[in-house]
Amino acid sequence: MEYVSPEGLRLDGRRPMEMRQIRAEIGAVSKADGSAVFEMGNTKVIAAVYGPRQVQNKSQQMNDQALVRCEYSMANFSTGDRMRKPKGDRRSTEISLVIRQTMEACILTHLMPHSQIDIFVQVLQADGGTRSACINAATLALADAGIPMRDLVTSCSAGYLNSTPLLDLNYVEDSAGGADVTLGILPKLDKVTLLQMDSKLPIDILENVMQLAIEGCKAVANYIREILLENTKQLEYRRGV
Amino acid sequence: MALMEEEKETAMVTPGEVLGRISEIKPGRGAYAATHNDTVYASLTGFRRNIPPAIDSSDQRPIVEVTGHKAHGPVPQPGSIVIARVTKVMARSASAHIVCVGTKSVREIFNGIIRQQDVRATEIDKVDMHLSFRPGDIVRALVVSLGDARAYFLSTAKNELGVVSAESIAGATMVPVSWTEMQCPLTGQIEQRKVAKMAS
Repeated sequence: MEYVSPEGLRLDGRRPMEMRQIRAEIGAVSKADGSAVFEMGNTKVIAAVYGPRQVQNKSQQMNDQALVRCEYSMANFSTGDRMRKPKGDRRSTEISLVIRQTMEACILTHLMPHSQIDIFVQVLQADGGTRSACINAATLALADAGIPMRDLVTSCSAGYLNSTPLLDLNYVEDSAGGADVTLGILPKLDKVTLLQMDSKLPIDILENVMQLAIEGCKAVANYIREILLENTKQLEYRRGV
Repeated sequence: MALMEEEKETAMVTPGEVLGRISEIKPGRGAYAATHNDTVYASLTGFRRNIPPAIDSSDQRPIVEVTGHKAHGPVPQPGSIVIARVTKVMARSASAHIVCVGTKSVREIFNGIIRQQDVRATEIDKVDMHLSFRPGDIVRALVVSLGDARAYFLSTAKNELGVVSAESIAGATMVPVSWTEMQCPLTGQIEQRKVAKMAS
């Protein structure tokens, strides 16, 4: 199967270095302290943040910093085949832990001792790159909740098919059996907080693919900053009236 | 107008944006200094504000704050004055839900506990918990520590701390008549409380 045509177009008409359309919305869940909906192409994710609040499981409480917990789930209708997996399957547990570790690295937990921050992420529609979209949605929700952060964590995936590095894989490209790199960075601090890869890749090509993913992460960061600044401007406008 | 708009435009920051160097500015609320370099970054979304230093202070660096409309609910800290609602009174302690930290209401519930030795500063051994608080009383207290695993440790051992509002058996809000007594305006019944001294 051919994933990149000789003219340099992908199956959905994108160039190899093009991202899918990104869309984000803040404040989708009214009861949450912070919430966001994030879309990357046909992948749609909703995130809600509660906290800082009192630790519910006393044995996990940390005296000098906040405890960050994350729960990831996919809606039954989010994929082509209807899923009936019970909560807590291996993939959900792995992605929950990945999101939790990524967020712990960027939240200033020492400012909120004796407390707990809960992040709930649910995939409403899956079309590849779900964990990247989850991390971006969680970052937006944390910023909406006013949790102090070192930087906005952004995430993007990249792959390698038909001897071409590809940015922001969709489901068809993800299922093609090639390499799939998921990267999470702190764009302003220029630090990597997450790096995952499936399949095999020579190390020089890996560096090219990683560089492409970094460019994608920075593009997502610019978009997220625009959303936050626009939201702050609207709040200021409403308060000024 | 354009100048003001441009100034407001450039003054908005998001988490991770550089605010300056540690040698030039001091990080305040919503900003932090990175340990690996000498840069000050924003940690919240909002407007950047520069506060000039006090004239007499030795440190002449201005303080940079990020003030915005995105701030999480307050977390009780040792030394902060909180308003709490008493939930349970026992022989040697009283449990309470913290509802305000300073002048801000908390968004989530935090548990506090007032121990017998923290009720008042005098005659500590003779304190009777049931004569100091009742469930449902609104109490002003001081957070003395983060406490144990269950609750923050609160203290009312000052004149300004104690019960600020209480209901009598008849259901009316009582009027304080001394630092140990409150009176029901309907029935005239006197009830014992550790009453806070109100600002006049």
